[in-house]
Amino acid sequence: MQSNRLGWILLAPTLVILFFFGVLPFIYVVYVSFHQWNPFAADPTMIFNGADNFRKIVFDAEFLNSVSVTVIFVLFAVISELVVGYVLAQAFMKEFPGKAIFRTIHTLPLIMAPIIVGSVWKLMMTPSIGIIPHYLNAWFGISINIGTSPVAAFATIIIMDIWHWTPLVTLTLIAALVSLPPDPFEQAQIDGANKRQIFFHITVPMIAPAVVATVFIRLMDALRTVDEVWMLTGGGPGSATRFVGVHIFKEVFPKTNYGYGSTISVIVLYLTIVACWLLYVTMLAPRNKKD
Amino acid sequence: MKTVFKLASSAIALTVAAGMAYADDAFWKEAAAPYEGVTLRGVTESSPPSLYIREVLAPQFEELTGIRVDIETTSWDQMFDKAIKDMEAGTGIYDMVYIEQDIIYSYLARDFLTDTTQLLADNPALKAPTYDEANFTTFANYFKGDNGHLYGIPMEAFIKIYLYRTDLFGDADIQAAFKEATGRDLAPATTHEEYTEIAKFFYEYGQANNMQLWGATVQGHTGHPASWYEYYETVAPTFGIYNWGIDASNNYAATVANGGEMNSDTAKEALQWWLDLRQYAPPESNQSTWTEVGTTFGAGRAAQGLVYGENAGWIASDPEKSLVVGKVGVALPPLSDGVLAEVEGGNGYIGYYDGGAFGMPSTSKNKEAAALFLQYIGQNEVQPDWAVAAPRVTNTATYDDPKVQEMNTELGGYYDMLRDKGYLFAGAPAYPFHAQLREAIAPTFYSILTGDISVSDGLDQMAETTEATLTELGYRK
Repeated sequence: MQSNRLGWILLAPTLVILFFFGVLPFIYVVYVSFHQWNPFAADPTMIFNGADNFRKIVFDAEFLNSVSVTVIFVLFAVISELVVGYVLAQAFMKEFPGKAIFRTIHTLPLIMAPIIVGSVWKLMMTPSIGIIPHYLNAWFGISINIGTSPVAAFATIIIMDIWHWTPLVTLTLIAALVSLPPDPFEQAQIDGANKRQIFFHITVPMIAPAVVATVFIRLMDALRTVDEVWMLTGGGPGSATRFVGVHIFKEVFPKTNYGYGSTISVIVLYLTIVACWLLYVTMLAPRNKKD
Repeated sequence: MKTVFKLASSAIALTVAAGMAYADDAFWKEAAAPYEGVTLRGVTESSPPSLYIREVLAPQFEELTGIRVDIETTSWDQMFDKAIKDMEAGTGIYDMVYIEQDIIYSYLARDFLTDTTQLLADNPALKAPTYDEANFTTFANYFKGDNGHLYGIPMEAFIKIYLYRTDLFGDADIQAAFKEATGRDLAPATTHEEYTEIAKFFYEYGQANNMQLWGATVQGHTGHPASWYEYYETVAPTFGIYNWGIDASNNYAATVANGGEMNSDTAKEALQWWLDLRQYAPPESNQSTWTEVGTTFGAGRAAQGLVYGENAGWIASDPEKSLVVGKVGVALPPLSDGVLAEVEGGNGYIGYYDGGAFGMPSTSKNKEAAALFLQYIGQNEVQPDWAVAAPRVTNTATYDDPKVQEMNTELGGYYDMLRDKGYLFAGAPAYPFHAQLREAIAPTFYSILTGDISVSDGLDQMAETTEATLTELGYRK
């Protein structure tokens, strides 16, 4: 009882902050989402319009497009980061010359703010000035312009995201791999299991919680990507990289469409929760049930 | 940026020295005495004129009055975001906000701003003897409300001009080659056809001579409002399409069917002309905002271009940033037949008169102290050095200052053009829905730029979206 009370006392500051800066704003956003409210409209007051905003969103081609490009981006980026991150984590488990330097360099992108990453990549990708288009053209004869090619712009954003966030995945997986007990691996080797069997039947199940946690983090981050994209392409060319975060930003700030923008935010939050829940059910729930 | 700071540092020395000679120091000290120790906060765009305020005028004012002035310089988007959030929520964080000319009508519609004329009239003790609204150029009219009172102190004003390379245009061999290719003498274009012809010539000249030279700049970013602005503020007026093709007096009609011009044949011709220029523009044009256009021109990568005046200064005079110092001339933009006569007659405009003011939010908690600072930056006395550090003129007396005259020569007569031809240019139309409408139709505009939709269909769609959006916002009945 005593420790229970102490626990609540220790938690109290966090809960209070969460309530005022997380729960209350969320409730307000939900409230606003049921209103028509643009402070620069002829009538700037908040007008209750029931579920109209939610009805409108279903037919909003720009929003649906932003969701689809975001989902494609998330799939490509998160899966790639997971694969590359695992390979790098395994590499860092072994000793090789220059490992410490390589690990430091590899981790550097993590300390950069997304807005800086976007700026740097924009400089590197500017046609005829940037280093990447220059060498792609000089070495391979490839002409790339992210201002005109939707594919190039989209691919660049995925590569930029992988470059930026793979180190996080690597570090998390290194922590998981280091903490694995050696016994199951030794027993499997004695029983004659090959590397593929060990990977799928021992390594993957044992690091699954860490993988899922990492995927959760990256999934939620990727779904709200704004800064890098804003700097690199501004959502263009056209609407090729107008991810849902960028779409919400443009709806809420320049358009000051607070009501409808709040509706989109609520829907996107709901979709994020559903995606995480599906991931949990698919990857962890069966394992927990078996346990 | 380095140059700006160098200029700023030099200016600090100059202005501090000059400040000693100001006869009215006593007024500032006395008027500011009740507010000594107060900290004023302002937010503005990170542009040369704003950096001058932060680095020079604010410290100078603080030294004189004991009132601290913190100026936050940030990106264009963030500046609006922060200011609007503060004023909308009524938090009163900022005592001064940058008001771009095109946003003033939105702010006035929401009563976001303090009537500075009235504030000074109500508080005569705050009125500086060296400050007078009559000192401002007519650009100040954009910051007046319906009552004729000033709601922002003008701090920068430029025209978007036709910039060309005098070294290329004056080169005898190039002139001969141009004559041979086109049958006419090489001179700054006065028509769109001539402009395209020159762009094509220099593009081909650059290719043939293996030079990093293209025919014209194009502010053609495919995902940033800069491209939208280049078309509506700079290109369309030269074809005689004003106020974005919307007829405010006719229930904000945009479509031709309802009496607007947004999707008229002329509007389509104008957009097609501009899009066609991209074939002669540097490859970075599709990612260029106003900043990159300046950089492209300063790097000597374009023979001509339509460039914001705020960039003309460093392009023409800063050897650390520009490769074309002393090689820049200015001219009026190319025009369709009859447009100049129409504008001279008082109907329409030929280009964008850009600029902004420092205004005081209604929610400011330090209005009296802020009023002092705003007057301080509005005095004639601080203008010349400011105009040299960042080419902007807001006070009529500034034109005659010897330092400004010297700068005018370096800028190829830019200040003369601003003074003598400024009346041909205009700020954004008085729409309180400026950003809201822009964002509603910009996605279609970007699709036109990427070729996903034709010019004709795109402008038809944009005109219809405009009317629908204005109906939704309650402006179109």
